[in-house]
Amino acid sequence: MSLVALSELLGAPVRGATGAVLGRVREVAIAPQDHPTRIAYLIVKTADGERVVPSAVLRSCGATVRTADDGSSWETYTPSDGVLLLKRDLLDQQIIDVHGRKVVRVNDVEIDSVPVNSHVALSVVAVDVGARGAIRRLTKGIVPAFTLRTLLGRIPPRVIPWAYVDLLETDPARRVKLKIVYEGLSKLHPADIASIVEDLPHAEREAVFETLDEEVAAEALEEIDPKVQVSIVESLDSDRAADIVEEMDPDAAADLLGGLTEGRSGEILKEMQPEERQEVTQLLEFGEHTAAGRMTTEYVSVGDYGRVDDAIEALRRFEGSREAVATVYLYNVAYKVVGAVPLVKIAVSPPSTFLSELAEAPVTCTADTPDDDVAALFDKYNLVTLAVLDEHDRLAGIITADDVITMLRHRR
Amino acid sequence: MKSALRHWKGRLVLLLAVIGPGFITANVDNDAGGIFTYSQAGAQFGYSLLWTMIPITIALIVVQEMASRLGAVTGKGLSDLIREEFGFRLTFIMMVTLVVTNFGNVVAEFAGIASSLELFGLSKYIVVPAAAFVVWLLVVRGTYDSIEKIFLTASAFYVTYIIAGFLAHPDWKAAAFATVTRPEAAGIRNYGYIYMVIGLVGTTIAPWMQFYLQASIVEKGITARQYAASRWDVIIGCIFTDVVAWFIIVACAATLYANGHHDIGSGADAAQALRPLAGEYAYLLFAAGLFNASLFAASILPISTAYAVCEGLGFESGLDKKFREAPVFYWLYTVLIVLGAAVLLVPRLPLVYVSVLSQVANGVVLPLVLVFMLLLTNDRELMGRYTNSRRFNIIAWTTVVVMVVLTLLMMVTHR
Repeated sequence: MSLVALSELLGAPVRGATGAVLGRVREVAIAPQDHPTRIAYLIVKTADGERVVPSAVLRSCGATVRTADDGSSWETYTPSDGVLLLKRDLLDQQIIDVHGRKVVRVNDVEIDSVPVNSHVALSVVAVDVGARGAIRRLTKGIVPAFTLRTLLGRIPPRVIPWAYVDLLETDPARRVKLKIVYEGLSKLHPADIASIVEDLPHAEREAVFETLDEEVAAEALEEIDPKVQVSIVESLDSDRAADIVEEMDPDAAADLLGGLTEGRSGEILKEMQPEERQEVTQLLEFGEHTAAGRMTTEYVSVGDYGRVDDAIEALRRFEGSREAVATVYLYNVAYKVVGAVPLVKIAVSPPSTFLSELAEAPVTCTADTPDDDVAALFDKYNLVTLAVLDEHDRLAGIITADDVITMLRHRR
Repeated sequence: MKSALRHWKGRLVLLLAVIGPGFITANVDNDAGGIFTYSQAGAQFGYSLLWTMIPITIALIVVQEMASRLGAVTGKGLSDLIREEFGFRLTFIMMVTLVVTNFGNVVAEFAGIASSLELFGLSKYIVVPAAAFVVWLLVVRGTYDSIEKIFLTASAFYVTYIIAGFLAHPDWKAAAFATVTRPEAAGIRNYGYIYMVIGLVGTTIAPWMQFYLQASIVEKGITARQYAASRWDVIIGCIFTDVVAWFIIVACAATLYANGHHDIGSGADAAQALRPLAGEYAYLLFAAGLFNASLFAASILPISTAYAVCEGLGFESGLDKKFREAPVFYWLYTVLIVLGAAVLLVPRLPLVYVSVLSQVANGVVLPLVLVFMLLLTNDRELMGRYTNSRRFNIIAWTTVVVMVVLTLLMMVTHR
């Protein structure tokens, strides 16, 4: 096994079986539908046009490329968009470094060549994002190759293994052909996805959001800066946007739709499932800077006659966000809120205990309570959740501590 | 009712979001280097360089429009695009050139701060280090939004130059005639004349502004769809900036040139020369405007350079990153400010000469940046249906050729 850098390979002379120079390497191609890392062929510029040199005829690859034949059987190159061209699509482009959780620019690509039977098999092993690739690119052809190799050997490499690289491709048709699914990205924490997406140009942002799984996209979108959120949703078609918005927390979804133009949010609402639509529309009615504007309508509540196992059953069925389950609310026959049971108490009590025995007096506010007062309540009572009541003292929704932190940070 | 209000608010936000970048950039254009260059042009050649203002304005509009269109359509900065389309080596050359010329501009900004505050009797040995520290802190500690509001408010002060121009009582007829008249042919054999023309172009269409403008457009999230409003922002900004420039030249021509004072030794010279002739107000306004402009540009230039270079060469960048996460970014930013300010501490440094020189350097480097921009804006794969019109190409390529020819002429006539 030996490593060769893409920048060394580009422009390298290609010699045939007799040793005569037949042309120079212009591009290096991967066909992702055949193999995700294997080099399918080189594009070689010869005296009579660009030719495709399949990797099966390559004998060695380095500063000089040697082939087993004389070039007579090489086909003329015709562009095809199902192919990843390393110079055009990778070199100098931005990629997502999944391991480092950021967007980086490719300085060089490391290609491994392994002898197999009579030829060499080439595959991409890593991308170089450090000084080594940069200096190699800068000094190529100016400093003698041997001196350069010794020099570069002293620079510690900064490479990202190919497995941790997510490519960015904006063209949807080509994205499918190249099998780009942002596999690594989608496994990251939503907050990390969000900060990566914020660093991308707008076409790339759209590309990511068109491709990501709806649930992941929704969680990531919630974490994104509101301005960027709006521009992403504006760029998606309403169908796709609705699918993502449905998966979001209703309060986050309402904030997002509130930032869009009326026409646009209407289109998205129309595409949503009736149930989600109703929740979000209700929230949209309230002022953004009031308790009602901050609250989510997904919470856990049980009747005040219930026992611990009723609460656990309710928690099992609950599909809302993790933050919302911190408190189980109790309501009486008139559906008025009469108690709040912290999750911890439920976790440590026997199943048959009456919830009313565990309940604390609920801290509540009205729907029109302004942001400042909401924050003050959280501070004063050290709350994790705060119940928002409607005019009949019924639970309209709850505000969770993470919403308050976001609100306070955004205000600065 | 509530939703109508929200709608209206949304519109206003959209308008403000779009009106910013072109206008700000055009205004930063009248920085210390600009004011010194325009002043010197008026003092040395009277009204006779006013003919440059109309062609420069047209070229400025075309170039700035290209930069903002590139930003809106691709969502990427100029150095990103140069890197992606032209590879590492050319990007590196461009970035080194940019750092060197921008460093000259940073020095010019500090020269502006020093000479404007010297008018109020403050020593440059105290003022410059203090200003450098303020600028550094303003950007590193403040958030982008609040900085921008300070800058926008500061833009209003540029009107002071127009007032100063009026108070100088110029010969309006002669000035207007000189603006639309053809240049004298004798100019091409005069080194000083060519040097000043290059300086005027270089200060008005500065290379760094193109990087800054495109970055601001991207930062604002303006896309191809919202682009129409942005185009007007650019055009209005360019016209405003050149009206201000015109007034500075006219003011200096009417006072300094008319009284045989043909060489400005320091920025204070320019302002002080205005005092006896045009009264206390012109002098004060000139000084305040110069200080404000210099501080404004000094806050933007180093940070915009650091962004451009780091994005082009692939280093981590951004004020939201910690120092150790983006060391190159912060070091480059800090070094530009510290060294730029340090140059000013050299005793008896000819402030105006250095400032004008930095603007001439801008003019010499401009064709290089323009060629990159032209190739990018004509790339159909990149720009789709937003490629350059033929008229734009003619104007921009003419600018490139003219600047190269002028640079060659300058070298030939240099003795």
